[in-house]
This record gives sequence, C-alpha cells and structure tokens, in this order.
Amino acid sequence: MILISFDIDGTLTVGDPPGILPMDMVRAVKEQGCLVGSCSDRPISAQRAIWASHDIEVDFTVSKHMLPDVKAEFEADVYYHIGDREDLDRRPALEAGFEFLWPHEAADMPWVEGPDA
Amino acid sequence: MTENAPASMYRTDEGMGLWEHRGKVAAVGVGHSPTARRWDGRAETCVGAISLIALRRAIEDAGVDPAEIDGLVMDPVTTTGAYWPKGKPVPEEVTSAFNCTDNPLDGIAGLSAEWILKNMPELTGIDFTMYGPGCMSNAICVAAQAVGDGLANTCLVLKSWHNYEGRYYQGGANAGSDLPGTAALHALWGTPACYGTALQFAEYCRKYGKNHDMMAPFIENSRQNGLKFPEGYWASHRPEEITPEDYKAARWIAKPANLFDNDLPIMVSAAYLYTTAERARDMRQKPVYILNHAASNTRPRSLTPTLDEVEADTARTARKIYEGAGITAADLSFENMYDGFAQFHQFHIEGLGYRGMKFGEALDFYQTDISIHGPNPILPSGGNIGCGRSRFWMHTDCIQQIQQRAGERQVTGVKPEVAVSGGPMPLGGRFTVWSATPD
Repeated sequence: MILISFDIDGTLTVGDPPGILPMDMVRAVKEQGCLVGSCSDRPISAQRAIWASHDIEVDFTVSKHMLPDVKAEFEADVYYHIGDREDLDRRPALEAGFEFLWPHEAADMPWVEGPDA
Repeated sequence: MTENAPASMYRTDEGMGLWEHRGKVAAVGVGHSPTARRWDGRAETCVGAISLIALRRAIEDAGVDPAEIDGLVMDPVTTTGAYWPKGKPVPEEVTSAFNCTDNPLDGIAGLSAEWILKNMPELTGIDFTMYGPGCMSNAICVAAQAVGDGLANTCLVLKSWHNYEGRYYQGGANAGSDLPGTAALHALWGTPACYGTALQFAEYCRKYGKNHDMMAPFIENSRQNGLKFPEGYWASHRPEEITPEDYKAARWIAKPANLFDNDLPIMVSAAYLYTTAERARDMRQKPVYILNHAASNTRPRSLTPTLDEVEADTARTARKIYEGAGITAADLSFENMYDGFAQFHQFHIEGLGYRGMKFGEALDFYQTDISIHGPNPILPSGGNIGCGRSRFWMHTDCIQQIQQRAGERQVTGVKPEVAVSGGPMPLGGRFTVWSATPD
C-alpha cells in the first residue's frame, strides 16, 4: 500500500500559486488504490471543499504539521509527501518518516500511470 | 519635497479637551483597487498602478472634479516585509509605462507623492502634500488635521501595499549578516513577527485563566465578515471560511499564536476623499464626520511591550479618543480596531471598554453573539484576518457602515451612528472616531 500526501499551494494546479500537478493525476493515483489526501496550510474545511469540487474522495485532509498523525492513523508500506517548500514540506516530511518528492519528481513516478506502467 | 507630518499634527496627550475641528471634517469618497496575492510583474498591476485606480475610484465615488482637489496625504512605504531583491534589475517595461521620479523603484517598491502627481495629470490643483507614515490609520489622522487646519480643503488620502514572491520578512536587511541596534534581536537572530504579541497573549491567558481556543469565534466571525467585503482578498479570490475546527488545527507560528492569528500579505490600495463638513454636503455620498483623532507614542521599556504596558496604554488611548470626541464608550455603535495580529484585537477593545468590557473579559465576550446582526458587533470589517493584510479595511468599513452602504456586511443589530477604528499596534497606534452627524 502506498500513501501519498499532497501539498496544495504551489503543488497542485488548483493551488495559489498554481503548481504543476493536475487533479487528474490525483484521481489516477487514487484509482490505483493508493491512500491519498492533502496536507496543507489551507483550512481543513477548504481542503475538503477543493476535493469535493473535483469529485475526489480522499482519505485524509490535515494541516501542515500533521503528517505524523497521518502516519499513525494509516498503515502503508511507503509514505510519500509531495510539496514545493523546503521548510514546510521537505524537512517536516522527512522528520515524519515520509519519502519526499518535489512536484516534478512526483510527475515521473510510476504510480501516476498505474502499476503496469 | 513631501515631508512626514510633524508631531504637532497628532493628538498624543491626555487633557487636550475636545478636538478643535470636531465634526468639521468629513470622509466622503472611498476607492479600492483590486487585490492580488503577489505582484505579477506587469505595469498595470504594480503598486503605483493600483494606487492610481484607488485614487480615481475615490474621486469618482465622491463625485468631485479632480481639479478641485488640493491635498494629498499618503504613506510612501508600501510594505513591512516584502523587499526588492538587491541587484535585481528594475523592469524597464514597467518604468516606461509611467512618468518616473529619480527613484527607479518608485511605483514598484514604494510610492512617493511626486510619483502620484506625475501620473495623475488631472490633479491640477494640489498644493499640499504630506506623509502619514506606517499605515492608513496614521494618514487619515494627518488628513483630518490638515483639512481642519485649512492646509487643504479637499484632500485625498492613500495607502498602498505591494507584495512579491517569496517569504514575508525574509528578505532585505533581514537576510544580511548584521543589523544596527535592537533590530538585530528582532529581525536577524530573533523570532517570527507575531512573537511579541504571542508573548503578551500567553501572559494574558495566564493572568485571566483563558486559552487560545477561545479566540476561535473571533477568527470565524472575522473571516465571515471579510467574505462579505467584496473588495477584500479572500472574498475576491479564495472564499474560504475558517471554522473553529480549522483554527484549532492550524500549526503554531509562535505558540500560542498560530497560522490563522496572522494575516496574509497582499497587493492592494485604498483611497479616501476628505473635505470640510461644509463642502461635503454637496458631494455624491453622505458625509461621515470625524469627531476626533488620537495617537499613542508610548515606547515600551524593552524589546517587546509587556501585558501591563499594553493594558495601561490602551486605557490611556481610550481616554484620549473619548475626550477629544466628546463621547463615552456607551456611544459606540460598533468598533473596528486593528487585528493583524488577531491576538491584540482584544487589547484594543478592552482598553476602549467596548460594551462595558474590562481587562480580561474579551475572550468571554467572543463566546457571545459578536456578529454584524447582533447588538455587539466585533470588527464588522473582518479586518486583516477577513480581507488580507492592508491595515485599512476597518476604516473603509466605518465609512461605509455609517453611509449605510456596506452591503451584505451592513450591521443590522445596531444603528450605525458612531464608530472607532485604528491601529496598528496597541502601543504606537493612530485612531479615528467617525460619526453620522457632526455633533
């Protein structure tokens, strides 16, 4: 099982500023059976609204400092956090025991296209 | 050459009696620019350009011939924490779009009165310019005094903000290896900007037995009000509420101050048109009379004011506000004191004794109906938390509420007759009392 946490602003195309990862990518990852959610400085209610407006059912929506809570709650073989900031994404992700990917690295990951890709 | 307003223009002391121009100066026109999170590098969105939009909208709103305007009061500094990177070229396509001054960053990273006048040829009658530095709270005090003193008859007041990509407060001198004086302790080796307020708030909670969660209704109310402010950033771009759950789940910036206790830096400009009460009668909008302006020049004993110093000074400020306006706390229809950081709003309103409040009671008050529809509205503008970092939403809101044109944000639980706004910090703020009538 793969768990993937997405930052929003600067990471997803719906972010402010927009990032490079489209919502279709998140949808595709979800359809591959990954656990998916967002970890962002957006209000949690706003994160839920974004996912709902794109008809994507996510497994978690948490504030930026709550990656350890995600890891404690979900059983997975590998945990990824994808974000655009060294101080607010990469460093805390590594401290929480997540693998970290910049958005351009995430776009090249095999699970974007499915397990057979 | 435009100068900062002299100290004599501010009402800093207790015992000055009624303001000599009480009810004889009025705000009439309001103009706001569009907002943006950050400058996108285009000429038409630079801080100079959006200032021209705000000024022209204020003139239009008041229904005044631009040639009739004879005064301009503004703040030449357009940021507190977004600095033009050293060595970065000034974009020629931007400077070539305007009539420039000797400062190549004028209109991009700052704003002089000279730049405004070079780019608003319709302002042919200006013979008075002055700076009220820091924020709109300061500039409107200067404009009110200038009109009252006869230095100008019809005066524009302007405050603008720029913001660039990158983190606020992280560039400029703060990115260097040394700073002079106590700034080194704050900015170089120190703490997030909200740290001083967080310290005061921590002591407040200890002293009065309160806690951070009790701020949640205030934050929720502020954002709800801000989402009814169409000129604001959140209403325009990201209509997101902050629920109590959202607030309590946010990360700490300087515990006990979290992310949503801080405001969001943006690009924005606002302008007002001030004039004499007599001239205001013939303008397009209903006059909002200035009953008083007041100032705090108190300096803390050390790097950050203690809670005791804050409480003493907000009480002193309130006495000055009421004395000069000839009112009491009971006369206030609503309050619009500053909130950027959210955690000092309660210091301001406790000092005012708003609705009979005493020190240590504001957070309990926040648990009651503080909405625009109740009898005790708190910050109907939504302030910086509700609209983005500008330090002027509260003034615009006072004018619009009293003019009965605040739209969805209009207070309904009270009749908007007398209001107070001002800031920024509890120590060192500038404050204005607004009224529907001149007496």
